[in-house]
Amino acid sequence: MTGYRLSSGGLVDRSKSLSFTFDGRPLRGFAGDTLASALLANDQLLVGRSFKYHRPRGIVSAGPSEPNALVTIGSGARRDPNTKATVAELYGGLAAKSQNRWPSLGFDIGAANGLLSPFLGAGFYYKTFMWPKQFWERVYEPFIRRAAGLGRAVLERDPEAYEKSWAFCDLLVIGGGPAGLMAALTAGRAGLRVIVADEDFRFGGSLLSTSETIDGAAASIFADRAVAELQSLPNVTLLSRTTVFGWYDDNVFGAVERVQKHVAEPSAKLVSERIWRIVAKRALLATGAEERPLVFGGNDRPGVMMAGAMTTYAERYGVAAGKAVAIFTSGSAGYRAARALSAKGISIAAIVDARAEANDQAPDGVRIIRSASVVDTKGSKRLKGIVVERSGFEELIACDALGMHGGWSPVVHLACQRGAKPIWSEELKAFAPPDVGGGLRPVGSANGVYSLSGCFDDGAQKAAAIAAELGFSASLGASPVIDGETASSFAALWYVPGAKSKAFIDLQNDVHAKDLGLALREGFGHVEHAKRYTTNGMATDQGKLSNINAVGILSGMRGVSPADVGTTTFRPFYTPVSFGALAGAARDEHAVPARKSPLHGWAIKNGATFVEAGLWHRSAWFPRAGEKTWRESVDREVLNVRANVGLCDVSTLGKIEVFGPDAAEFLNRLYCNPVLKLPVGKARYGLMLREDGFVFDDGTVSRLGEEHFFLTTTTAMAGAVMSHMEYCAQALWPDLDVRFTSSTDQWAQMAIAGPKARAVLQHLVDDDISDRALPFLAARKIVLKTGVSARLFRISFSGELAFELAVPAGYGEAVADQITEAGRPHDICAYGAEALNVLRLEKGLLTHAEFDGRVTPDDAGLGRMLSMQKTDFIGKRLSTRYGLTAADRMQLVGLKPVDADKDMRAGAHLLKEGTKPSTLNDQGWISSAGFSPVLGHAIALAFLKSGRERYGERVIIFDKLRDQEIVAEVCDPVFVDPQNEKLKA
Amino acid sequence: MVRDYNNRHALEQKLRAAPTPPAADHLMVGHWRAVATVLARSGQEETVQRAIASVPEFAMRFSAPAEWLVISEAEAPSGLARRLEELCGAMAHVIDLSDGRVVFRLSGPNGRRILAKGIGVDLHPDVFSSGGSANVLCGHIPINLARVGEDVFELIAPRSFAESLFDDLMRMGREFELTAAFAD
Repeated sequence: MTGYRLSSGGLVDRSKSLSFTFDGRPLRGFAGDTLASALLANDQLLVGRSFKYHRPRGIVSAGPSEPNALVTIGSGARRDPNTKATVAELYGGLAAKSQNRWPSLGFDIGAANGLLSPFLGAGFYYKTFMWPKQFWERVYEPFIRRAAGLGRAVLERDPEAYEKSWAFCDLLVIGGGPAGLMAALTAGRAGLRVIVADEDFRFGGSLLSTSETIDGAAASIFADRAVAELQSLPNVTLLSRTTVFGWYDDNVFGAVERVQKHVAEPSAKLVSERIWRIVAKRALLATGAEERPLVFGGNDRPGVMMAGAMTTYAERYGVAAGKAVAIFTSGSAGYRAARALSAKGISIAAIVDARAEANDQAPDGVRIIRSASVVDTKGSKRLKGIVVERSGFEELIACDALGMHGGWSPVVHLACQRGAKPIWSEELKAFAPPDVGGGLRPVGSANGVYSLSGCFDDGAQKAAAIAAELGFSASLGASPVIDGETASSFAALWYVPGAKSKAFIDLQNDVHAKDLGLALREGFGHVEHAKRYTTNGMATDQGKLSNINAVGILSGMRGVSPADVGTTTFRPFYTPVSFGALAGAARDEHAVPARKSPLHGWAIKNGATFVEAGLWHRSAWFPRAGEKTWRESVDREVLNVRANVGLCDVSTLGKIEVFGPDAAEFLNRLYCNPVLKLPVGKARYGLMLREDGFVFDDGTVSRLGEEHFFLTTTTAMAGAVMSHMEYCAQALWPDLDVRFTSSTDQWAQMAIAGPKARAVLQHLVDDDISDRALPFLAARKIVLKTGVSARLFRISFSGELAFELAVPAGYGEAVADQITEAGRPHDICAYGAEALNVLRLEKGLLTHAEFDGRVTPDDAGLGRMLSMQKTDFIGKRLSTRYGLTAADRMQLVGLKPVDADKDMRAGAHLLKEGTKPSTLNDQGWISSAGFSPVLGHAIALAFLKSGRERYGERVIIFDKLRDQEIVAEVCDPVFVDPQNEKLKA
Repeated sequence: MVRDYNNRHALEQKLRAAPTPPAADHLMVGHWRAVATVLARSGQEETVQRAIASVPEFAMRFSAPAEWLVISEAEAPSGLARRLEELCGAMAHVIDLSDGRVVFRLSGPNGRRILAKGIGVDLHPDVFSSGGSANVLCGHIPINLARVGEDVFELIAPRSFAESLFDDLMRMGREFELTAAFAD
């Protein structure tokens, strides 16, 4: 085979010469070339090595089904491995490298695998590397990984940007060939919102590579005019370089647009690739048909190519695949290829026709050998001749390229991605798309209509029908006049008997015909089993060329129809999609949104270290000069709150305003404790249960008015509580006149805690905030001295005298600054979520570390909160289940280490002294633990079997993760100020 | 007096840089926008809607059945809530959310294409017409989206998400050279 650029013709721009490299070798192509067409024009036939046997391989196709011509494009972090040269658009400066070869493409040591091939049949790995077991990781796997494998993954950070976008349309046309363009024109003219997506960088599909003429002009001119008209319609969107890869529920299609994969210097303004989610009322599958390769001896020699691909290279790119081309065909398209090539001045060595007779016309003077087959090919890294067998006689025919044609298969993939299987059609001798309803209809060649005029008519009619369904009136224009159209037919030929060397089915995965025979003999004859056993169709091309022949061969061997063999399962993606595109913009710090408190700026000014708590960025601790560890900061903050006063940001708590005459009744049913008679101006701790009786969330309920309540939820459960309330109001008790809405973001809320809290707060307010005027659990609307409306609550999560002050978020920072300033003489400190946690731990107050979904109020020591005399509340009924009231449930206790210097960690399990660690002996677990600077040792909250009866008992803390066992004493969970004297000061 | 107390906007850091002249596609951030939620009492939905709609300087955004966000460029936050309370009386509950919401206004010829990168709702004017609004997700962020003109969209977002939403919108608008500034 000798590829070369024809002196004229093709749709490439011969005035724009582009330089590129292949394995470092400088080459030139034209604008409008693919990498494959440019390589072919430069006579670079050998483009890769096969997966298993490292056999030399050349370009086979001219599109996305390419199994062989996989290359790595680009370098460094911008490297794209496994790129199909047949779809990669050529650009100036493109640097491509071949893959899967060592040390070089021309000389590959791995090709020795080919010599071992008798031992490397299908299932070889499964059988040989089974034992000894310990050899697998150390010996076999590294060996196989080095020997077999395609391009290398890029391990550097991806510098490209990606994004996703939604799109909506009346009609999505998938494929911009003759049927698709005609459908788009018909629907677009009728006023439908139309999106046309085509994976190519140029619209037209087969129109770009046919010698037929339309309305007296080249077919490509017809395509250009259609595109120009579609571009002029404001209701039509054309997406080129866009592969529709998946069909999903509700007629949503996934597509990937290669926005600037085809440029040397990507613009910083644009993303590299964009994922489209296209919501289509209707869609047309205008994906065309795939040409079938033939399975004959030596069919993988570089120079053996699809006949249609040869035509495309000649017609569209002005490139000849060889100087003397032979055609091996079982259908009329082989003759059409011969005529097209011949018309370009390429010599046709012979047409080998597997059929006994055919009406197809060969170019003048070309020899036709009927009822014949190719049984072997000659040459090493390029084809030099073919061995043709007819009636038992063999003949060597010299040629440098062979075009093969085995018929057509509609590209049905998308229609089969949601469970429907393609339907075998005896008439088409192919798997046809299943009827999947009106949402997605096949059209043109994808529907088994192979003539150009048929595609035009099918496209126009289906689009007009859809327009009518959607209430538009479409008119069918005059059909284009086509010249040069010939009838098309083929005979199915799954396997060419008499192969003198390996006859490959799957070129990328090196599966040959004998492998399928082995699979069948060993009981793997089912099409899905055969696929796994032989790896046929499992490569990056997913068997676009090979699957149909594998099905045909299996059906032949099993003596059944292909309909009975069926196909393997079609799943997204139609072609590989990069992880970058699928991640879109959601990466690094943009993977999830960051929620920031209105006091974020205040925290930064005070030197906060932040921690991500859900989406929130919360201040965790506030290190000061000289503090070397977080513990030093946290200990200082805790001690200062206990001794003086501290200021903590609690804005992240969920906040919900509840209104209405039935608000009290509503909340009374929502919480397990009584809320109905909460007086105006008072707050109360509230506990919500799930229907199953376990704790759902806790927080405070404040009554700000007769019909106005204000709830807080935990930070983590704010959204869940809101949904729960909506469900209760809308579904359970729609008769209650209650309305509520979230005000989480409206308020900056700060806790001022410590013995000096009142003194500090008094600087900001004129109101009397003495214990008499504002006792524990008071809740008031107030106005600060500065005129800001605020809410003041006397609630505490630290056990200290504490206030929570809420001000409108915008004033949060100013008020926090003022408190910090006013508190300076009182030695105020900022404290973060870590100190907050230690403070509550010392007081035995609970969080979702304790309320983990397995805990009842009684388990948590809150059994007295259950108000069983209430008519009903969520969780009441199931709270009385036997299992939930059993005496040996895990109950909340405190733990302190017997040796004061020992550390305890959450997650550790509890055992009786002297027992072995086992699930049976498990006595409970630690839910929270920390260091108490007040006590000077570690403390923990734990759930222990019948725990409340066991104060004073010693238990073993078994911490397998840290491989330690320590002895701890069970105690009351309130470690500091058990009488709550400080709280009520 | 209230105003002397430095009111800090959630995007003050982000928009501190000297403003560039607005491009064709421009994102305006309301610096001090009065926003309130109005919840109609049972059976009062229509009356409340009519009452608020009758005030020309109020803009109403549907956010749930019998629930609206009302915004006003004329009123100060507390003033808006007070006027709404007077207007609705016992028919509705009113909550001032001016500090809890950030109002973005995206204008320009590419608004739809920009928003389509984050919002899975058809924004074609035949489907989402001027005056229409909906609670939607922009990426992961819950917002109220309204079309206030042929090429003008308004996004009302919770304050805590404002920085993330702003970053997202600027990224979504990068190919159109979207600019941003405070409105006043």
